Amino acid sequence: MHTERLFDRIDSIQIKGVTKKYGSRFAVKELDMEIHGGELLILIGPSGSGKTTILRMINRMIEQDSGSVIINGLDTRKLDPVRLRRNMGYVIQNIGLFPHMTIGENIGLVPKLEGWEKNRVKERVQYLLDFVSLPTDLFFNRYPRQLSGGQQQRVGLARALAMDPPLLLMDEPFGALDPILRKQLQEEFLKIKMEIGRTIVFVTHDIEEAFRLGDRIAIVDQAKIVQVGPPEELIFNPATKMVSEIVDTERKFKHMDTLNVKDLMSPFDSKYVFDSKMDTCDAVNEMTGRDLETAFIFDNGRLLGRITMVDLMKCRTKTQKLADVVRPLKTFQPLDSVAFALSELKKSGEYLALIMNEDRPSGILVSDEVLLKLI
Amino acid sequence: MTIVLQTVIDVWDKNLMTLRTIEHLQMFSIALVLSTVIGVIIGIFIYSRQRTANTVLNILNIVETIPDLALIVILLPILRLGAGPTIAASVLYSILPVARNTYTGLKGVDEQYTYVARAIGLSQVETLWKVKIPMSLPLIAGGIRIALVFCMGVVTLGGLVAAGGLGTVLQNGIQLYEKDAILVAGLWTGLLAVILDSFAGIVEKKLHERYGKW
Amino acid sequence: MVVLETVLDATWEHIILVYTTLFISMLVSIPFAFASLYSKKLAFFGLKFSNLVQAVPSFAVVAIMVPLIGIGFTPAVIAIMLRALLPIIKNTYIGLSNVDPELIDYAQGVGMSQWQINRYIRLPNAYPAMFAGIKFAAILANSIAVLTAFIGSGGLGEIIFQGLIGYNTKTLLAGAIPAILLAIFIDQFFTLLEKRFTRSYTK
Repeated sequence: MHTERLFDRIDSIQIKGVTKKYGSRFAVKELDMEIHGGELLILIGPSGSGKTTILRMINRMIEQDSGSVIINGLDTRKLDPVRLRRNMGYVIQNIGLFPHMTIGENIGLVPKLEGWEKNRVKERVQYLLDFVSLPTDLFFNRYPRQLSGGQQQRVGLARALAMDPPLLLMDEPFGALDPILRKQLQEEFLKIKMEIGRTIVFVTHDIEEAFRLGDRIAIVDQAKIVQVGPPEELIFNPATKMVSEIVDTERKFKHMDTLNVKDLMSPFDSKYVFDSKMDTCDAVNEMTGRDLETAFIFDNGRLLGRITMVDLMKCRTKTQKLADVVRPLKTFQPLDSVAFALSELKKSGEYLALIMNEDRPSGILVSDEVLLKLI
Repeated sequence: MTIVLQTVIDVWDKNLMTLRTIEHLQMFSIALVLSTVIGVIIGIFIYSRQRTANTVLNILNIVETIPDLALIVILLPILRLGAGPTIAASVLYSILPVARNTYTGLKGVDEQYTYVARAIGLSQVETLWKVKIPMSLPLIAGGIRIALVFCMGVVTLGGLVAAGGLGTVLQNGIQLYEKDAILVAGLWTGLLAVILDSFAGIVEKKLHERYGKW
Repeated sequence: MVVLETVLDATWEHIILVYTTLFISMLVSIPFAFASLYSKKLAFFGLKFSNLVQAVPSFAVVAIMVPLIGIGFTPAVIAIMLRALLPIIKNTYIGLSNVDPELIDYAQGVGMSQWQINRYIRLPNAYPAMFAGIKFAAILANSIAVLTAFIGSGGLGEIIFQGLIGYNTKTLLAGAIPAILLAIFIDQFFTLLEKRFTRSYTK
């Protein structure tokens, strides 16, 4: 079977007067909005607000009761849903990798069903694994259960990109990950986003994530869109009290001066500690086992810096040690002010720092996007 | 020891047990393949039309309670003497475990996988073949293993209705009261069944490791 | 031609054979299941052996009785028992051992004796599984009892074998149809009994 492409790029997605009811309750009520080609639009709001429903109506996983979704002038209801879905990528929170297929088979499933030649599928999968920083030779034949949460999420993204779709729908893709891991995947995702230049609709409940990733943010509440705009507009011009509550500026403003690094940091855990003499291939497996994407490298108790899974990607030779790929890392004291630490982080282009109490690590600081916008 | 071995060889030759074993396995394989194919098809059918599931499974359940020899016997007037009634009875008997396990397996596939399959653009047929059936394989294999034991049992009865197979040797042995023949054929039939069942058990376990839940 | 009286006599013989065997099987297997609770080894070998024997064709089991014990009613009972014991033992054991350990702890805590725990906690918990096992054993017994007529047990199988000798369809059906009706009756009867007995234990 071969499905023809519906669109090579997205010019605009128009949602016109769309309503969806469950019983007597409105999930979405007379919604009008436009998603611009090439932007990353965030849908954020409390649970049950209708944000996920909006997303799922774009690929017809949910059918609206009235109104229409129009992509590049094509009404989605006039298209075959299977064909429509193969023209867009879809990533969800629980990832849903098929447990009976290897990573390679999972990513290559739709290309294979599209009748691609075996070698072409394989090349595509290799390219995508490379793209999401998973060494092909280590991961191609593994099964999902052998991967850490972060790695599974990368595979989920690779699968969504398999058919090179111009539109990506992402339903809380990083929602189930721990904060530090989430931050790193967001960071990588940002880079990928620049590279691929696709239109992305992204559902989240995490305002930090919204601020970090979104070109525009749509605040959804009670089946309606309350405000749409770039992050700064939401902070400095909230349309309603509800928006400013979600953005949380008031509380954060008040405490800006008095907050210390220790109030914001996550606790340190010995699972992050790796020895500088470990070789890089072993480190990939060890990090998979400990469900880590980032690790801190110590040499006889002395901090050398940090590594990420991406750094280990090209591990081929047993002789390469962690000390060879380590990158420098910012450190702060627990009593440094948050404003100081965040602006230092921003200057260096980092999003992560280690908090050292004397010579011992005591916490991890990840940048706070809302505060960063305020500084 | 030599005497025992000599007796076994004599009994084996005299009762044409190589031929009987081949007949036995032929009937068995035909019955098992048919039960598997029909069982899986029925399983998929009642899964896709859930309303029929209870009725179909109840009917198969009733068939299951019928004494196997009586089932062969009532098929005799229709299918005549020979292998026909025996194979038909084996199949009628063995459809239930395969169909039931296929149905349970398909129903048990976690909805998140069906959801994802739909969301990434798999059609209903593709979802069935690529996701649901592979994920049900451990259970389907379990059903086939039960069917295997059933088929072995019914095929052995075939000796009583001139279907050939190892049951013939048992029948002759009892009628002529030849203790050695009964012992050799009885133990050999039992051993054959246990070996095939154990083999199926290993396959089932492997499938569980490969496709089972984690 | 078969006389109605012959059929009725055979049916009666059949019922006696089935229920005698079933009764003895229960007498043997339920204590065995309790014993397995106290001996891991017994439980392990019991289950292993039962799984093994379940794969052996019934006709082979019945036939082997002849050189070992002979022909007649008793060998038939033993052959049927060999198959009917297993589902009862297995199901009873599973039912008895699947009791929430906290419940047992609690029972010991309030001073119940081993016997009382078995009688008032484990046994009621095992009823549903036990009944399923007994029902299955009864259907199995009814089925094999047709076959054991071949080694002289009497019962409905005897009419079937008479029919086979001359290939007389009417005689064949006169044996087969009551056997089938009996099977359906046993199934329904035990289902009813099962509902009556286990209703208060299952939700």
